[in-house]
Amino acid sequence: MTSDTPARRRARVFSRRRSAPSRARRRLGAAVRMLAALVLAGGVYTAFAPGAFADDDVQLSAAAQEGKALFDNSCISCHGRDGQGVDERGPSLIGVGAASVEFQVSTGRMPMTRQEAQAEEKPPQFNDDQTRQLAQYVQEIGGGPQVPDGPLTVDLEKDPDALARGGELFRVNCTSCHGFGGGGGALSSGKFAPSLHDATERQIYAAMLSGPQNMPVFGDNQLTPEQKRQIITYIETQLQEDKDPGGLFNLGRYGPSTEGMAIFLVGITILVFTSLWIAGKS
Amino acid sequence: MTAEHHAGGAGAKPVDVRDPHLTRFDIVKEGLRRDDIEIVTYESQFHGQNSKAEKRVVRNIALLFLISGAATLAFLGFYIWWPWEFELGHTLSDYYTPILGISLGIGLLALGFAILAWAKKLLPHELSIQQRHGDPSSDSDRLIAGQTIIYMADELGVQRRPLLKGAIALGMAPLGLAAAAPLVGGLIENPHKGEHPMMYTTGFHPSHNDGKPVRLTREDGSPIRPEDVSTGGQMTVFPGIPHGATNQHADSPTLLIHLRSDDATVTRAAADADPRNRGSMWGDYVAYSKICTHAGCPASLYEQQTNRLLCPCHQSQFLITDNAQPIFGPATRRLPMLPLTVDAEGFFVAASDFKDTVGPDFWERP
Amino acid sequence: MKRRKMDLAEAPKTFAKGVDDRFQAATPLRGLLNKVFPDHWSFLLGEIALFSFIVLLLTGVFLTLFFDPSMKEVQYDGDYLALRGTWMSAAYESSLNLSFEVRGGLFMRQMHHWAALLFMASIVVHMARIFFTGAFRKPREVNWVIGILLFLLGFFAGFTGYSLPDDGLSGTGLRIASAIMLTLPVIGTWLSASIFGGEFPGELIIGRFYIAHVLLIPGILLALIAVHLGLIFKQKHTQWPGPMRTNENVVGERMFPRYAMKQGGFFMAVFGVIALLAGLFQINPIWLFGPYRAAEVSSASQPDWYVMFMDGLVRLMPNWQIYIGNYSIPPMFWPAVVGLGALFTLPMAYPWLEARKLKDKRTHHLLQRPRDNPERVGIGMMAFTFFMVATLSGANDVIADKFHISLNAMTWAGRIGLLLLPPLAYYISVRICLGLQQHDREVLAHGVETGIIKRLPNGQFVEVHQPLGPVDEHGHPIPLEYAGWVVPKKMNRLGALAPAVKGFFYPVEKPAEAPVSPAVEAIKREEIKSGR
Repeated sequence: MTSDTPARRRARVFSRRRSAPSRARRRLGAAVRMLAALVLAGGVYTAFAPGAFADDDVQLSAAAQEGKALFDNSCISCHGRDGQGVDERGPSLIGVGAASVEFQVSTGRMPMTRQEAQAEEKPPQFNDDQTRQLAQYVQEIGGGPQVPDGPLTVDLEKDPDALARGGELFRVNCTSCHGFGGGGGALSSGKFAPSLHDATERQIYAAMLSGPQNMPVFGDNQLTPEQKRQIITYIETQLQEDKDPGGLFNLGRYGPSTEGMAIFLVGITILVFTSLWIAGKS
Repeated sequence: MTAEHHAGGAGAKPVDVRDPHLTRFDIVKEGLRRDDIEIVTYESQFHGQNSKAEKRVVRNIALLFLISGAATLAFLGFYIWWPWEFELGHTLSDYYTPILGISLGIGLLALGFAILAWAKKLLPHELSIQQRHGDPSSDSDRLIAGQTIIYMADELGVQRRPLLKGAIALGMAPLGLAAAAPLVGGLIENPHKGEHPMMYTTGFHPSHNDGKPVRLTREDGSPIRPEDVSTGGQMTVFPGIPHGATNQHADSPTLLIHLRSDDATVTRAAADADPRNRGSMWGDYVAYSKICTHAGCPASLYEQQTNRLLCPCHQSQFLITDNAQPIFGPATRRLPMLPLTVDAEGFFVAASDFKDTVGPDFWERP
Repeated sequence: MKRRKMDLAEAPKTFAKGVDDRFQAATPLRGLLNKVFPDHWSFLLGEIALFSFIVLLLTGVFLTLFFDPSMKEVQYDGDYLALRGTWMSAAYESSLNLSFEVRGGLFMRQMHHWAALLFMASIVVHMARIFFTGAFRKPREVNWVIGILLFLLGFFAGFTGYSLPDDGLSGTGLRIASAIMLTLPVIGTWLSASIFGGEFPGELIIGRFYIAHVLLIPGILLALIAVHLGLIFKQKHTQWPGPMRTNENVVGERMFPRYAMKQGGFFMAVFGVIALLAGLFQINPIWLFGPYRAAEVSSASQPDWYVMFMDGLVRLMPNWQIYIGNYSIPPMFWPAVVGLGALFTLPMAYPWLEARKLKDKRTHHLLQRPRDNPERVGIGMMAFTFFMVATLSGANDVIADKFHISLNAMTWAGRIGLLLLPPLAYYISVRICLGLQQHDREVLAHGVETGIIKRLPNGQFVEVHQPLGPVDEHGHPIPLEYAGWVVPKKMNRLGALAPAVKGFFYPVEKPAEAPVSPAVEAIKREEIKSGR
C-alpha cells in the first residue's frame, strides 16, 4: 500500500511552496519544516490512531502466533510494532483485516521493495500457509474484513444463470478499470489496474473486500458474497480460461489497437511480400 | 517459342489478315500494330520444349493446384462435420472458426500461388511498348463541341424569353423542395421541445416520479441505504423510475461515492463554497454524474486514494474533492453533482435533478 | 426445306459473329486484349483494396441474411451462457446468434471485419505510394481526389458497420459520435437530435446506420471505385522511368493472359490472407463487451485503427473552450470536426498546390523517385508523422499500461510530439533525399566504388572507381546525365560480381554495358575469386 497519509501529503505541500532565497538556506528551512511537520503529524497520529495503546499480551491463536513471528521479522520495519504503522514508511494495519493481508502478501505486493506510486506485483515471498498466518495475526490484532471459508465460485451445474449475472455485475463494476477482457488498464499518472488473468479466487475476493491501492472497496452490503462469487465465476470461466472461439490468437483482447497492429504487421506485410514476388523479375 | 524481336508497332507494315499464308501470330501482330503496340521481347522462359526445368515448374504448379483442392475439400468437410455449436468450457467447437480459416486460407493461397506461378514461370516473358495517345482533342473538335453546346442553349431561347426564365425557377424550385421536405421534416427533431427539454433534464428530475424526489437505485432497481456503500467504495446508481437503468435514460447514470471522512471534509468545504453544489452532499457521501462532460463516456475509473475520476475514452481526470473539476485532459467542465438526501425509509433520494447540465458540452448550454 | 446440320465446331464462331453484329464488340475487345500494363510491385497495392472490397461485399451479403437492425429490447436466450437472460437490443442479439448459432457465422463476421481493416490499410499504403512517386500529377488529379473520397467513405462505412452490433464498445463509440455532433456551433443539438431521432441513443440509430452501411455507402463506394478504375484504364497506368520508357508510351506486358492471370492469382492470395486472419486472430469479441449500456465502459476503449487518429487528436486537445456571449464552442470541435475536415480537404488540394508552386502544367506519365522531389517527401513524411502520433495517441492508454508509462506523460508526449515531430520529420527526410540525390550524382560522375584500394607510386591510396559510361582520353569518366531511375551503386548490379541473374533467361532490361578499361577489368576478376 502506498503511504499517502495526511502527514505525507501535508509535508509535500510544504516543500512545494517554499520560496527561493539561497540554496542551502532553502534546503535547511525545508528540512526543518519537514521535520516539524513530521513530528507534529506523527504525534497527532499516535495520539488518535485506534489501538495505539493496545495491550501487548492479547490472546493470540496458534496460527496468529506464527504470523506474529513472521510479522516481526518482515513487516515490522514499515508497519511498526503490532501493526501500528510507521509514519513515512507504512500505514497502520489496525482494521484492514485478513482480506487485505491475503491480497497484498499473496500477490507479492507486500513486502514492498521501495516506496512508489503503486505497489508492484512480484513473486510472493511467503507461501500460502505463512500468508494465512500473517492474515490471522493482523485479523486478531485489529479486526476487519475477512475472506470467508468455503467455495468462492458458484457451481454452474446447479445455477447456470449465475454466469450471466456475474458478467453483468462485472461490466457494471469492474470493466471500467480492468477492461472487458480483464487485461487491466491505465489509471492516472502511472497508476494502473492490474490484469485479472492470473489472479486467484481468494485474491479477487480479498481485493473486492479490502479495496487495495486505488481500487474502490466493494463491501458485503454493496456486492453480497453471492454476487462476489458470481463475479469470480465469470472471471474464471470467461476471462481466465482464454476461451476464444474466434481464433487461436486473441491479440490480448486489447480491442482495436492490437487488431490495427495485426492488420499491418500480418496482412499488409504478407501481401506486400506477395506483390514483390509477383512483380519480381525471376 | 522463339524470340520475336520488334514485332508489330508503328514501324511495321500493315498486312492483309485474310492472307492464308499468315500464321496466327502474324495476325496477332497485325492487331498489335493497329493498337500501336510493339513487342520488344516475347520469349519462352525455357530453353527448348519440355526442358527439365519446365517440367519441374509444371509439377510444382500442379502440386499447388492439388493442395488447393485438398484444402478446400477439407474446408467443406470441417464445415459439415466438425462440431460447431458453442458450449461452455473447452470443447472442439472452440476450434471451429480457426479450422475453417486455416483450411480455406490454405486452399485460396495455394490456388492463388498456383495461378501466379503459372503466369510468372510458365508463360513467355514479354516486353511490349504501347503508345499512349494521351493528346487532348484537336482544336477544331473542341470548338465544335463548345459551339454545339452554346447553340443548343440558344435554341432553348431562355435568354430571349425572360418570362420562361422566371417561370422555370418558380415552377421547378417547389419540386426540389418537395423532394427535400419529407426528408428534412421527418428527420428534424427539436432538442428543446417540451416543458423539460431532454438536453437539460435526467431521470432524476421529479417530473418522472409524479413530482416526488427520485430514489437512487442499483441496476436491478433496488434502492440504496447509506450503509450499502463501504467507505472508500463507489456504486453506479440509476434513477428509481421505470426503465431508469436502461438506455432510455442514457444521461442519468450517477456515481455514488462514500468518501473517507478526512476526504469528505475537504469535499464538503469545496462544495459549500460553490453556490450550485452547496449542501448537495449527504454525510460523507457525494454523487456525481457518471457521464463525462467531454464526450459522454462513463467517467467511472474511481481512484479511492487519490480521489480522482478518470474517463477511459479520452483520459480526462476529475478531482472528486474539488467539485469534480477537471484537472487533466480535454474536459473543460466539472461533473455535475447530484443533490443527495435520505428519505423517511432511510433510502437515498435525489433532492432535485442535477443543477448543471449533464453530458457532453454543446453550443447553447446554459 | 433442307434441315441445316448443326456444326459444333462452328458454334463459337457463329455466336461471336452474332454478338458482334449486335454490339460491335470486336474492335474494343481487341483493344482490351492488347492493352499494355507496366509491371512493378508497388502498382499492386491498390489491388489489395479492390480485392478486399470484393470480399467485403461477399461476406457482407451473408451477414445481412442474419442481422436484425432493431433496437427493440429482448431477453437473450441463446447458446452463449454468459449472457443468457440479459436484456439487450435485437441487433446485439442477432449479432450473437450470428456468431454462435449460425454455422460458420463467426468466421464470416471475422472475415468481414478483417477485410474492412485490410481495405482501409491498403488504401493508406496505396495512397502513400501514389503520393511519394508523384503519380497524382496532371492528368491524374481527379483520380487522386476520388481516392481520398474512397478513404473517407471507407471511414464512414467502417464506423457505421462497427456500430451495428450495438455492443458495449461500439455503443461507446456511438456516444462519442453524438458528442462530436453536439460540438458543432449553432446546429449541434439539432443535428444530433435529428440523426438519433431524439436524445441519445434513441431507438432509431441502428436502423439508420444499417441502411447507410449496406446500401448508401457501398453504393457510392462501388460507383466511385468504378470511376477510379475507369480513369486508370482511360489514362493508362503511370510507369517508372527506365530504358525505352518515355512520357508517351507504356512499357510492360499485355493485359492477357499474363497480367490478368497475375491479378486473378493475387485476388486469391488476398482472399486467402483474409481467411487466414479470420481463422487465426479473434477480432472484436462482442460477446465479452455485453450489450451497450450508458453506464458501462471498458478501459482501453478505442475505435478501429483508421478512426484512431481522430480519437488521438481528441485526447491530445487541451481543454480550451471558446466562449461567445452565452454560447460556447467545446474543445472537441477542433480536432474532431475541423481537424477531420482539414485532414481530408488539404490532401485533395495538394496536386494543384504543388503544380502551382512548381509552375508545372505538363502532363506526367513517368513517376518520380521520391528522392527527386525532397519537398514533397518532406511534406508527406510530415503528414505521415502527424498521423502516426495522432494514431498512437489514440491508443495511449494501452501503451501506457503495457509499457508502464504514466498516462499523463503519454498525453503530454503526444501533445509535444504532435507539434515537434512533423517538422523534424520534414527536415530529416528532405536531408535524406538530398543526400541520396547527391550520391546518385557522384556515382554518375565518378563511377561505382569497387572496394579496391590502389596505392599510387607516390604512396597515396585511392579507391578504384568503375565508370558507368565512357571515359575521356585521360581515363576519367565523362559524367552521365541523371535519368530519373536507379543508379547502380554496387558492382554486382553491373554484372561485374557474381552473376546478377542466373537461370534460363537473362534480364530483359540489361544494364547498360559499361566500357571498362582492361586494367580495372583484370583486377576486378581477381577480386571475385579471392573474395569467394
